[in-house]
Amino acid sequence: MKKTGLLAIVLSCFLMNAQAQKADSLLKTLDSNNGSTEVEAVFKSTRVVLSQSTETQKKHDLDLRIRHHFGDIGGRFGSSHTLYGLDVASDLFIGFDYGITDDFTVGIGRSKQDELFNFSGKYKLLKQKSDGGMPVNLTLFAQMGWIARSPFSESEFSSYANRFSYFIQPIFSRKFSSRLSLEVLPALLMRKNTTESRDPENLFSIGFAGRMKLSKRLSFVADYTLVNGLSRPTDLSQAYFNPLGVGLEIETGGHIFSLNFMNSEYILENNFIPGTKKSWQDGGVRFGFTISRNFTLFKSKNKDPDKTSKIY
Amino acid sequence: MIWGKRTTSILLGVSFTLLQLSANAQSYVGKGVKLSLFSSTPVEDIRAVNVKGTAVLVGNTREIVVQAPIKGFEFDRKLMQEHFNENYMESDKYPMAKFKGMIDQVIDFTKNGEYDITASGKLNVHGVDKMRSIQGKVIVKDGAIQILTEFKVPCADHKIKIPILIITKVAEVISIKVDGKLNLAK
Repeated sequence: MKKTGLLAIVLSCFLMNAQAQKADSLLKTLDSNNGSTEVEAVFKSTRVVLSQSTETQKKHDLDLRIRHHFGDIGGRFGSSHTLYGLDVASDLFIGFDYGITDDFTVGIGRSKQDELFNFSGKYKLLKQKSDGGMPVNLTLFAQMGWIARSPFSESEFSSYANRFSYFIQPIFSRKFSSRLSLEVLPALLMRKNTTESRDPENLFSIGFAGRMKLSKRLSFVADYTLVNGLSRPTDLSQAYFNPLGVGLEIETGGHIFSLNFMNSEYILENNFIPGTKKSWQDGGVRFGFTISRNFTLFKSKNKDPDKTSKIY
Repeated sequence: MIWGKRTTSILLGVSFTLLQLSANAQSYVGKGVKLSLFSSTPVEDIRAVNVKGTAVLVGNTREIVVQAPIKGFEFDRKLMQEHFNENYMESDKYPMAKFKGMIDQVIDFTKNGEYDITASGKLNVHGVDKMRSIQGKVIVKDGAIQILTEFKVPCADHKIKIPILIITKVAEVISIKVDGKLNLAK
């Protein structure tokens, strides 16, 4: 009898609970197996300031990128005589990046410095997962530079191969929060046109870059590349400095404007990593900007009427 | 502790009544609820679809909940999808859109048929609650329930800001279509 009574109590309690079962708890059981997602928009753009970010172009998107570096703000070449560097264009760059797939981007561009043409490939190898299954992003970047200018001296490009340089860089990044993303970029640059015998042709460098979102569309970006003193002696007859850039990045649906200050005169890795001769001290810092515009080249093959967007 | 026969039988009686009640309180659940988004301006039409919605309908209380992860919306253009998540919906901060309310009409969910209904309750989008009364349709067929609705969501209602620069491309009022099939919860 006692047992039946207890059983009855337990049973009624259990049923009472079942009765109180709310829509919310049912919903929870449905959502429990929501798989992890890839972390998106680690960086807004494919570049931070000078360095590459882990981002690639989306499939079939073409990015037209125009970048400009002005002259020294202060020092001997700056001040009011050059309107704080605005009279001078130390480097100009026009380039296109095209997304063959969401993960693989090819690029072509041309810089004023050395009349350098560049051909690049960028591949997203690993993607950070929201559940921590993959903590970082890994993107591989490779770029070939071709110096098209005429030689300064007869011996300069004695072998035509001396005009080429090759740059390889794995990029590791992590979005720590929706506001903060950081990355590390070890790299190897192989080049021939060095001016000093003690300046190594194979140059190792390591870069650090980050983005801090200030608002939905405005970010603070910065990057620093350590190259001098790493595999290159610091007492070369020409003084070189490590590139440091800071800036603001403004995004407005398809356009990205980047306004920066940096000590590097040059824009491409093949130029600014070995060639930065200005310092943040003694007025070597300069203003620079990027305008980037995305175009969708091909209509998607996807015929799903629910997803078709149309521009009139 | 000594149990009277009376107490036991009362408890047993209560248990069976509750058992009976819970049998009546049938709940329906659905996965893969499809949500279609449509934004239209003279310059650009934008569509996206989300098939990761979930829905719950509690028979006796007529309570209805439909929710969907914002990141589940798929756009043709991935950059647009990224902007949708990053710049408008802030899906890291507000991962879900949810409607929770009650069906205003009494419906016999065991009887086949089509019923025009309104559901009143809270629509939560972009972390902002808005009381809404949404018209829709419930189709009961052989124990399964299909819910259908189409309604408008003004961006301003949910503090979703559209910059002046792109006001010609993104509509201020977005249409949402929901189509889901719910089965009896076990």
